[in-house]
Amino acid sequence: MTAIATDVTDHHLIAQFKEGSMEAMETIVDRYENRIFIFGLKMCGQLQDAEDITQDTFLNAFKYLNSFREETKLKNWLFKIAATACIRKRRKKKCEPDRELSLESFMNKDGTFETYDIPDWSDDPSDKVLQAEMKAVISNAIKTLPHKYKLVFNLRDIEGFSTKETADILGISIESVKTRLHRARMALREKISHAYQEGKSV
Amino acid sequence: MKEDCKKNFERISEYLDGELGPDDCQQIEQHLEECPECRDCFDALKKTIDLCKKNAQEEIPGDMQNRLKSKLRECFGNN
Repeated sequence: MTAIATDVTDHHLIAQFKEGSMEAMETIVDRYENRIFIFGLKMCGQLQDAEDITQDTFLNAFKYLNSFREETKLKNWLFKIAATACIRKRRKKKCEPDRELSLESFMNKDGTFETYDIPDWSDDPSDKVLQAEMKAVISNAIKTLPHKYKLVFNLRDIEGFSTKETADILGISIESVKTRLHRARMALREKISHAYQEGKSV
Repeated sequence: MKEDCKKNFERISEYLDGELGPDDCQQIEQHLEECPECRDCFDALKKTIDLCKKNAQEEIPGDMQNRLKSKLRECFGNN
């Protein structure tokens, strides 16, 4: 028999839900809705899309929770459903195919590196305007990553899943997670640095 | 870009995430000490990740929870 991977609280809530408890269902929502919503927002950039993704995720989760065998953590299972909802939403919008990010594009043609100027978040925490501007720059940089890189970046660096967990959630290899994560980070470094430089020169 | 830099450049994320073995770590650390360009790349990448993580907080619409729960009750209330 496979060991149960869900944490104790989730395990009890799932058992109560299977017995028909609506309170257990709502407690599961309370535990995970914010994270799913933020993930949806980082993936799509629109409040309504993020709310749709959150709703789709929980509707599907509770539809299939009776057959969930707890071989993975509930949180990971919910993110797997949420990632699928993001991919479905993107397909519905008939977005352009994903661009590939190549490592060579982050190296200068003459074989040198460009120097990147990335601000510290703590540069001036009292400056709310600066922080709001930085927040917009960062959100926009993440939002404009190609979809498959954005999925990996949000799961690994924002949600804190391990490489193996991210690979399981997305159904891709560990090597693909590592490659996509590295390229996403390099692209973000470039985008944030350029936006910061432009802001400074205004 | 020198071959040595390229090889290390490709593995900087893995190094940052603690996913390399001790020999590879040592090799990268030595390279970072000797190569200012790669050191700069490494520092900028670390700062980028840090900035993005600190920026992760978002405002959740206050009425979303009510809408979500009433939809779920409507769908699963007669379980």
